[in-house]
Amino acid sequence: MEIFITGYGMISCIGSTIDESLEYLRAEKTGIQLGAFEALPQYRVGVVPFSNDEIKAKFNISTDGSRTALLGMVAAKQAFEGHKLNDSIRTGLISGTSVGGMDISEREYKNFLEQTNHNPANYKHHASGTSSEEIAKELGVTEFINTISTACSSAANSLMMGARMIKNGLLDRVIVGGTDGLSSFTISGFKSLMIFDDELCRPFDESRKGLNLGEGAGFIVLESEKSLKLSGKKPLAKLTGWSNASDAFHQTASSPNGYGATISMQEALNVAGLQAQDIDYINAHGTATPNNDLSESHAIKTIFKDAIPPFSSTKAYTGHTLAASGGIEAVFAILAIQQGLLYPNLNFSTPIEETGLIPQLKFEEGKTIKNVLSNSFGFGGNNSTVILSAI
Amino acid sequence: MSELRQTLKAQIIEQLNLEDLTPADIKNDAPLFGNDGLGLDSIDALEFIVLLESSYDIKVADPSAGKEIFHSIDSLAAYIEKNQ
Amino acid sequence: MYYIHSRASITCQDSFRTDNVCEKLVVIDDTSDVVSPEYKEFIPPASLRRLSPVLKMGLTASIECKNQSGKDFDAIVVGTGLGCLKDTEKFLSTFLTSTSDFLSPTAFIQSTHNTIGGQISLGLGNHAYNMTHTQNSVSFEVSLLDAMMCINEGKKNVLVGAADEKIDFLKEVQPNLISADFPLCSGASFFVLSPEKSEVQVKAISTTFSSENVLTDIAAFLDVHNLEMEKIDLLLHSNDGIEEHVTPKDAFNFLDYSGFHYSASAFALHIAHDYLVNEEKEWALIVNDMCPTNIGIMLIQRDEA
Repeated sequence: MEIFITGYGMISCIGSTIDESLEYLRAEKTGIQLGAFEALPQYRVGVVPFSNDEIKAKFNISTDGSRTALLGMVAAKQAFEGHKLNDSIRTGLISGTSVGGMDISEREYKNFLEQTNHNPANYKHHASGTSSEEIAKELGVTEFINTISTACSSAANSLMMGARMIKNGLLDRVIVGGTDGLSSFTISGFKSLMIFDDELCRPFDESRKGLNLGEGAGFIVLESEKSLKLSGKKPLAKLTGWSNASDAFHQTASSPNGYGATISMQEALNVAGLQAQDIDYINAHGTATPNNDLSESHAIKTIFKDAIPPFSSTKAYTGHTLAASGGIEAVFAILAIQQGLLYPNLNFSTPIEETGLIPQLKFEEGKTIKNVLSNSFGFGGNNSTVILSAI
Repeated sequence: MSELRQTLKAQIIEQLNLEDLTPADIKNDAPLFGNDGLGLDSIDALEFIVLLESSYDIKVADPSAGKEIFHSIDSLAAYIEKNQ
Repeated sequence: MYYIHSRASITCQDSFRTDNVCEKLVVIDDTSDVVSPEYKEFIPPASLRRLSPVLKMGLTASIECKNQSGKDFDAIVVGTGLGCLKDTEKFLSTFLTSTSDFLSPTAFIQSTHNTIGGQISLGLGNHAYNMTHTQNSVSFEVSLLDAMMCINEGKKNVLVGAADEKIDFLKEVQPNLISADFPLCSGASFFVLSPEKSEVQVKAISTTFSSENVLTDIAAFLDVHNLEMEKIDLLLHSNDGIEEHVTPKDAFNFLDYSGFHYSASAFALHIAHDYLVNEEKEWALIVNDMCPTNIGIMLIQRDEA
């Protein structure tokens, strides 16, 4: 049974439409900026340049929600455009998020600590599950709603769960992806881990120092063949491989040899029925932390040996959008397949000495891209890989 | 300066929640990290950096420098004495 | 078929390591607190020192399940409604009140929902599929659904459970973040699910996300499975109003014993399991409508042969 992709949508610092995002990608231009997050202007982050109220107005959103939910609504609505809900197609929504409604909760909790104007009503948006319910409400999806929260692998895991629910005959169509709005909680949290780069991040570069955070949402629509016949939508690509494995090394660090990542990539290939040499492009997790990029490089070498396909991290464009990253990067994968694109790994100059890998350096088009492998690795050693393929 | 070492031990026990330990259990030259030592890890190294700043006003900007500085109570005390 | 092979719960009841959790159930109240096992027996001090209650409970219940089953898990699925609240609140306080450039990272690291699952995989050295679902009051039901799919896909030994913790602040923000007519509590319940035969199985499960009337949902569910309420030996529910309208052989509100938290239906499964085994009955139905629009229903069957 094949899983067809019939819609995609994303919003991030490089655009609130697919066309805007493509412009940045083509121009090799980052959306990450110093000072973009008003409350903490000392950080270099990738922010969607609209307030919550502006998002509601600009994108005709009628449902109330946190920033995470609102960004998710924008991307999910884009993905679901042209689709219609009806009783014969069982439709679900599975979203990934790491912080849910924290942007509102942290403001309210500050009021609580300072004992000024504390309004407990505002916590109603806090729960991660609630953000998905709000997105589902905006779309009118009622059959099945779920939220996956595995940090940075959340969206990839949502894609996997959606595909499995279709294969297990539980749903016919499912909107899957992830969303995270930036919050002071998240920025402060990563600050405490001392894994930021004060400059623009340099994935896979020997001199890399850390990541830049971002925010956004990315969703795609998966359909079974039965649903396709009923919806009449044209398939854009297929979701052919998926996998999740545990590194079981440390709560935040990846194993030096990328053990969990190796398992997840190999299993995704197995699910897709593909060999390593069938992959035309790897969208790496590539956060630009000293630890991840080395670990992931080893895993890539283990799987692909001497025949490593073009690979890049697109996080130097968008920032690390945490739970949204797997969803946004799935959208990039679909565009790569549809338009024959390869994305550059920005800010690269020197390969990592230990592994010597050189990523894709320029934006290219007109390539033959049949199979894209995309990695998303989360805290807790949660390693996920998805594979998207041409029709 | 054994007083600094004693204080450090007490602070470490508190900051890292090492409930079952007393300062007497921590030898000055014993490795703090890894399985041969107290079993501290990279998260603890970050907590050490917080401790250095909050109690001793010393800022360690590069977390990878932590390995040497936090090797043992002795190396930590030496670093503090040097940088205060 | 989805058989229950092991179970372990840490709750406000004396529920850990007991053959029949039903024997010792007492109605909880505002003063009830978690009855904790000796965590040191399960978790090495280097890890234990950092862990919040929800992490200790989830990890210990999982290790106990592993000890009971004796086998490595080929999938680990965890549900949690509100995640690691204690560490979330701790880090919020930290960064909102600090003037320093250097913030203590431990609470932030442990604030992500999948820390429970991550600690389980770390603690057991397990490299298998590891998922965390968070859908408020039906987080366990969705996790169980995932676990059942894992078995459909060939897995043989799936750890599935849910955990949620109470913090004082929850009382402050009722009924916004959580809406409860029962005392708030913490709890963790974990199970081993397997296709290999055992006495009790999860026969079916359903979730409804736009429920207008739980009684209609119950009736529709039973209809699909060709059962009448009169055949149900035990109905466990979260809403006293349901009991007035249906006639199972026995019924009670599981929230009276779990207290209110979003993983309570997982404990209901443990209660149902032990009831069926010890009373030698066949059918238990668990209806979770802690949140009135999102309903979870589980049908449990004991093999009478």
